[in-house]
Amino acid sequence: MTSSRSAVMFALALLAPALIYILIIVAYPLVDTFILSFTNASLRPDYDFVGWANYLRIFTAGNFTEVIIRTFIWTMLSVGMKMVIGMCGAVLLNAAIPGQTLFRILIMPPWVVPMAIGIFMWGWMYNGQFGMISGLLQNFGVIDRPVAWLAYGDTAFWATIVTDVWIGVPMVTIYFLAAMQSIPRDLHEAAWTDGAGRFYRFRRITLPLMIPAVLTMSLLSLIATFNSFDIIWILTQGGPSGSTTTMIIDTYKTAMGSRKYGEGAARAVVICIFVSIFCIVYFRAVRKLSQGEAK
Amino acid sequence: MSQLSLKHLEKSFNEARIIKGIDLEVTEGEFVVFVGPSGCGKSTLLRMIAGLEDVSSGEIEIGGRVVNDLPPVQRGIAMVFQSYALYPHMSVYENIAFPLRVERLPQAQVDERVGAAAKVLQLESRLQHRPGQLSGGQRQRVAIGRAIVRQPKIFLFDEPLSNLDAALRSEMRIELMELHKRLGSTMIYVTHDQVEAMTMADKIVVLDAGTISQVGSPLDLYHRPDNLFVAGFIGSPKMNFIGGKVTAADGTTVTVDLGALGTIALPRQSRSVAGQSVTVGIRPEHLRLGEGDFALTVTPNIVEHLGIHTVTYATLPGGENFIGLFEGDPDVPEGTPLKIGFATEQVHLFDQAGLAVY
Repeated sequence: MTSSRSAVMFALALLAPALIYILIIVAYPLVDTFILSFTNASLRPDYDFVGWANYLRIFTAGNFTEVIIRTFIWTMLSVGMKMVIGMCGAVLLNAAIPGQTLFRILIMPPWVVPMAIGIFMWGWMYNGQFGMISGLLQNFGVIDRPVAWLAYGDTAFWATIVTDVWIGVPMVTIYFLAAMQSIPRDLHEAAWTDGAGRFYRFRRITLPLMIPAVLTMSLLSLIATFNSFDIIWILTQGGPSGSTTTMIIDTYKTAMGSRKYGEGAARAVVICIFVSIFCIVYFRAVRKLSQGEAK
Repeated sequence: MSQLSLKHLEKSFNEARIIKGIDLEVTEGEFVVFVGPSGCGKSTLLRMIAGLEDVSSGEIEIGGRVVNDLPPVQRGIAMVFQSYALYPHMSVYENIAFPLRVERLPQAQVDERVGAAAKVLQLESRLQHRPGQLSGGQRQRVAIGRAIVRQPKIFLFDEPLSNLDAALRSEMRIELMELHKRLGSTMIYVTHDQVEAMTMADKIVVLDAGTISQVGSPLDLYHRPDNLFVAGFIGSPKMNFIGGKVTAADGTTVTVDLGALGTIALPRQSRSVAGQSVTVGIRPEHLRLGEGDFALTVTPNIVEHLGIHTVTYATLPGGENFIGLFEGDPDVPEGTPLKIGFATEQVHLFDQAGLAVY
């Protein structure tokens, strides 16, 4: 009994630094935000509890529902494109083609370049007067006048997605490549011996065996993209006319722009609920996959 | 009729020559085993026949047709891999049916062929299971089933039993031999296990460093090894080798001085070995306790009692290991000198190049 108690104490002593760190850095702000979401906190030093008023307001007044829908569309499009492009990239990098090493190097810059610099670079590329995209499309006769891609709602929405995809694709590609290379070579050789061509092998062997990797990466990417702030903020700050305002941008604007900390906190709690749901789905999927593998 | 013919076959990976000019004929219905130590090129040779490795030079003929540039599926072969190479996400049925699905055969024909293979391999009750739910032996059978449904001219097996435990391995060995009898197909089987080679093969091809050391029936190789390598590789425990020098070779007898062990006279007609440093070989199972045509005294440092056999391990004055295999459970204590004899007609002699002298 004594020895088991001392074992527990020893374990707690080892865990204590991490637990204290998590309590200060994660748990305290989370609880504080939750409490703040029930107040009318602003720049004034004192504030009152307002019950569910902030939650009622964000869902009844303003356009928060529209922001939620936009966030989901933005996230789904971005994640979907990352998965498709990442898979294509992995297939190309995995194929025995000349210049494979060069391609492996070329795919890395979006990941290696500091994110803010990459986003600024895209900001200039989207510029109507000096931007490369507008210039090239004019040269090829696709457009007849300069287009400032970030100045219009529709184009800005897609421009932010493209930038997010550009930054996210390398990691997805490398992850998929690693998963693809972990498929035993024997399986492909056996299928080839049986007469299966490249596409048939990809469809019936590679893709089904990649499902765990695709599922894991999709969910991780979903969580990261849902919370993506830097790209939109640096490129458009949520504009023009809110066309690129996602939940995280909206929360920041409410809390830091309008100084409505209580209302901002309520929005942050809603984001937290959505991300928690994604996390639950992710962990359940991981558990299911590992149980499947154990079988 | 020759079904597979290898002519001056070579394979190099960059500068490294792995297969160094192999010539071989395999007749229809034969069970041929490629055997050799790790790295001797046996699996590479099999993969070249399968079409999984390019041929650097030489020709592979299957059924009289050169297949060097044909993809595996057009060669009329089916291969069973060491790892089984089963598709983990497919059922046993779909694994076996895979080659037929590639061929786009009608479902009725797929059902018929898979059913027939499953019956032969006793997998009928497992068809809806996934490979992960099967034992090692059952997985092996599924891999064989996938080969059978293609009705190939030649079956290729790449160390198919090496992932199984000893008991299952001997069980599967018998199943494979029965399968060979039932199908009557040509089978080429790669293994590093000489017991598998001896028990299964009609013809053994012993490979050493990318070349064929000897081709023959199991008993040919056992009784008349062409060289030191084959003599040492075939047989378990391996043959004892004792270094010596030929003092006389008169056309009927070769006399070899074995140093501290004495002089042995062997019935050989060769005169060319006179004066050469040679190697005398005697299999452990040919030794007898007590006197013989030739006798020597050794002190076993380890004795293994296996019930049916007793194995003694000793070191000769020249530093060579000397193993004795005796029937039953004789009284041979460790550390006690032991007189061992053997018949000179069972002694092998190898010249200074390592070639057998008969």
